[in-house]
Amino acid sequence: MSETETFDKVVKILTPHVKNQEALAAIGPETSILEDLKVNSARLVDVVLAFEDEFDVEIADDDIDEVNTVGDAVRLIRAKLG
Amino acid sequence: MSAPLWIPLTVGLMRFGLGWQIEGSEAVRSLYREMRRGHGGPLLVCANHLTLIDSALVAWALASPWWYLAHHSALPWNVPETQNFTASLPSRILISLMKCVPITRGSERQEVASVLARLGYLLSRGEAVLIFPEGGRSRSGRVELESAAYGVGRLVAALPGCRVLCVYLRGERQATFSDLPARGERFHVLVDVLEPTSELQGLRASLDLAQQIVRRLVDLERRHFDGRQ
Repeated sequence: MSETETFDKVVKILTPHVKNQEALAAIGPETSILEDLKVNSARLVDVVLAFEDEFDVEIADDDIDEVNTVGDAVRLIRAKLG
Repeated sequence: MSAPLWIPLTVGLMRFGLGWQIEGSEAVRSLYREMRRGHGGPLLVCANHLTLIDSALVAWALASPWWYLAHHSALPWNVPETQNFTASLPSRILISLMKCVPITRGSERQEVASVLARLGYLLSRGEAVLIFPEGGRSRSGRVELESAAYGVGRLVAALPGCRVLCVYLRGERQATFSDLPARGERFHVLVDVLEPTSELQGLRASLDLAQQIVRRLVDLERRHFDGRQ
């Protein structure tokens, strides 16, 4: 799976949780999931669980601490995919 | 003024200045004293959340201010939202005197992890910690299972044998969330003990544990309203 495909799938998973549609329209690797997209922090775990299901990877508690931006999520998933 | 001496003054203000009373606290205090005496492992207190001063109310429900003077480690640490308590000088003074580990809602994950690590350390040292597992004051006024904050489960998962004291506290005139309870409010308190475990792994285990705790609060809320009909 290419990086672009991973990015697109990540955005698709994030979209239902996004409260800032302007930030979503301009989304990029540096976009902050919590600050820019205004995803509820309590829902971040649901997003990460959706990543696990979509990409068939296991993400540990410590891994979630590294996910601040969309690019962080893409990098983490690609690292898990090997 | 040292923090322990400050506790009776706060309770005095709540009881005599604001006219608040807590019904049912005798049995709760007896249970809490027993749990503190008989259990050397981590003890996490999880409560429903409706007002900004719930931490003080729950601490008051669990023990008398005089008992806390002799058992300061039993006075729960709490985790206030930074923005709620840094707006004014009095609240900043309050937060510096109380046992607080402030957290910024929606902050970077590393900060959240750091707060959880500090709380885990405190629990492992025999300190009591109070957390609101819904993550914030309930906007509906009822315990919301879907708001279960996974961080609570992560904290429990990292502390084998951790027991959770679930506390449901509510004022008779508390219809929904607010900054402060009404003057002269009469509170009712119910508690239950839980030792959550999960067969799941990783994030799913943490979420499962958090949901078990919030589910117990939902049960206590049902008992509260059943008992008042």
